[in-house]
Amino acid sequence: MTDHALSPSRPLRLPSVPGVAISLVGLVLLFAFSSPGFLSTGNLSNILVQSVILLLIALPMTLIIMTEGLDLSMGAVLTLASLVLALIIVSTQSLILGLLGALAVGLAFGFVNGSLVAVLGIPPFVATLGTLGAAQGLALIVSDGQSVVGIPRFVRQAYSGTVAGIPTPILIGIGFYALFHVLLYYTRFGTYIRALGGNRDALTLAGVRWRPILIAVYMLGGSMAGVAALLMTARMNAGHPTAAIGMEFDAIAAVALGGTSFEKGNGWIFGTLLGVLTVGVLRNGLNLMAIPSSVQVACIGALVIFALFIDGMRSHKS
Amino acid sequence: MRAVMDTTALIEPAPPPAPDRAPLLELRGISKNFPGVKALDDVSFGVWPGEVHMLLGENGAGKSSLMKVLCGAYQADAGDYFHNGEKIEIRSPADARRFGIAVIFQEFSLVPYLDVAQNIFLGREFASAIPGIMDRRRLYREAQAVLDLIGLDVDPRTKVHSLGVAQQQMVEIGKALSQDARILVMDEPTAALSDRETERLFEVMRQLQAKGVAIVYISHRMAEVFALGDRITVLRDGKLVGSALPGETSPDELVRMMVGRNVDMSYPRRFSTAPGELVLDVRNVCAANGIRDISLTVRSGEIVGLCGLVGSGRTEVARAIFGADEVTAGEVHLFGKSHSGGPAATTRAGVGLIPESRKSEGLALIRTVSDNLAVAGLPKLFPNMMFSRGKARRSAEELIKRLRIATPSPNQNVALLSGGNQQKVVIGKWLAAGTRLFIFDEPTRGIDVGAKSEIFALIDQLVAEGAAVLMISSEQAEIVHVCDRAYVMRGKRIVGELSRAELSEENIVRMGMHDD
Repeated sequence: MTDHALSPSRPLRLPSVPGVAISLVGLVLLFAFSSPGFLSTGNLSNILVQSVILLLIALPMTLIIMTEGLDLSMGAVLTLASLVLALIIVSTQSLILGLLGALAVGLAFGFVNGSLVAVLGIPPFVATLGTLGAAQGLALIVSDGQSVVGIPRFVRQAYSGTVAGIPTPILIGIGFYALFHVLLYYTRFGTYIRALGGNRDALTLAGVRWRPILIAVYMLGGSMAGVAALLMTARMNAGHPTAAIGMEFDAIAAVALGGTSFEKGNGWIFGTLLGVLTVGVLRNGLNLMAIPSSVQVACIGALVIFALFIDGMRSHKS
Repeated sequence: MRAVMDTTALIEPAPPPAPDRAPLLELRGISKNFPGVKALDDVSFGVWPGEVHMLLGENGAGKSSLMKVLCGAYQADAGDYFHNGEKIEIRSPADARRFGIAVIFQEFSLVPYLDVAQNIFLGREFASAIPGIMDRRRLYREAQAVLDLIGLDVDPRTKVHSLGVAQQQMVEIGKALSQDARILVMDEPTAALSDRETERLFEVMRQLQAKGVAIVYISHRMAEVFALGDRITVLRDGKLVGSALPGETSPDELVRMMVGRNVDMSYPRRFSTAPGELVLDVRNVCAANGIRDISLTVRSGEIVGLCGLVGSGRTEVARAIFGADEVTAGEVHLFGKSHSGGPAATTRAGVGLIPESRKSEGLALIRTVSDNLAVAGLPKLFPNMMFSRGKARRSAEELIKRLRIATPSPNQNVALLSGGNQQKVVIGKWLAAGTRLFIFDEPTRGIDVGAKSEIFALIDQLVAEGAAVLMISSEQAEIVHVCDRAYVMRGKRIVGELSRAELSEENIVRMGMHDD
């Protein structure tokens, strides 16, 4: 009879500051002391610019996780979308057509993911692991395993440009953050996302058809992979068949760091922003210390466990 | 032994409050089947504007199914709906809402990480002037009005998960009231409420009644039934037994209508006249799971029943004795010795729990009969930690013969056995472990009628061999049929003990639901 979900939660009083904020400040202090160049304006701006692509993936990942879901295919879909985008731009010289192509790839995969989860009832982990494989395979097929080069110069120029002194990617990041914030807290869609993870029966009883909403959440994720593909291609000035493989790991890590729970629709979109910055700072700082990428992944993993431990301490009782 | 008996004749339906008018909502001939169970069998039921229609019945009588059919959560297999005399279709909760039906659920339909206002207006959010954006100011304003109406003093911006159970129940009530319902269905709405909140709820109900709202109210509290009800309908075994006006009936008559479920038990039991030594002695136990001041005894050679309504605390008593939930006060004595410790220690002391959810808690469904029979007895069968397939098989074959488990071989997958035979495997598992006190939680749940008497025969055989049995059951008739004594629970306490001579369904129900 006892339902722990509904009993009043008694948070431990210890960390009133979320784990992600502690992590972020701690890392910034650590790198400020260990690497002299870390606090330079150039480097800080660099961290922000480099974090934007991850942010674009982590924002929808937050919503997906809030529905008690997961999307493991995001990195692979991003890679496939960036290849399609590169191929279209190279052959048509049209950025718009390229972006539309990338969005189409993302939306298609999002639709498949969402349908597998919402209609067929396949666990999100398994469903999106399957589409991860499909997207990765398709990426190798369309690119023949080669990088796609010959992206017109204006794409790269747009990416490295500034508006009012602020780098364009940062503005894009701010814009999408604001969009997701409004989406989650000011629209029906956002309300229903929290209900999807919290109590699906409540939605059904309220006369809301939840399956289309769940599919839409995954399609939003796919379309954001398409947007991120544009930035990725512009940054690298090419399409690589392994460009964003594994990026879902960083995204899920950032969401977890940000204090979004994997249960009951308990999410925090600002926490995801902090989580993305934490991952960005960690990667950048470790780079400055010349620590190899493989070790960086292990460090992110350790940080996630640390943050989930804090999350667990806060939400767990008795 | 009495076999099939029916204590009540069908009572003529009470006259409707406004015979010249069609009921606001009427169900005719509703049936709903689940595999193996007739949840509702040809039930006809109507509510008129401004009346409170009480719905009574024992556990599993079909009240909740009827409610779910009413609100569109279940679809009836047969039967018709009428709204103001016109035939209508209710195929989904959205349909039900359109006809002004709102339901206050007992299992909360709240979303933990949405706030009070968002929960109240879930699915009915207000649009603002900006397309796609909700009008949050109006949301909180209207939510505050609802909270004022029900007298709940919380900030509408509070997340629901941080509210207490009573406050959540009030939010649930507010949610239903805010829908301007013309037909309000309430499932034991006062179960979690304090007296003050209950009074407030009744006040709101009277206001709604005055406005012509029809209320269907499910209750287990006789006092409420007579204080609030304009009409009372009793369900039993998914069938409508009858309806009555409160002025023309009595609690005793209603109890008689509720009991007398047909139980076919061809197995006669010799009741214990001289029980053996004290096996379980629970003294003034309180536990973290909510049970208070529980004292009970079970002797060897005895079957002792533990009854009461669902939620009265029966399973919690079993869990506390078994060490699965923490005992906070009082003492448990097992076989004459003071006992404390978790399930592992309790099992070693010779106690076996046969849980209600056999498939999830009692058995490893993907393993064989032999594996399942060996699992609790592993330390006893294999004292030096070395597993021997042959030894496990011999032990299993012995138990299969002794318990007459119908299985082609010990290596049969246990999932392929019938419910009755699965239950025997769970019992056998504990026999192999040398258990001498068996705690059964709903031993016949999901077992077909024929196999039930076989399970009871087996339980009788256990006590005849000197074991002690504590049996939790919602089936009053079964308790009366097999138990030497029984304790009745209400509100997490034991409210009475019935000797063999006093054991009757009426006494159990009367003790279990009357509030004094």
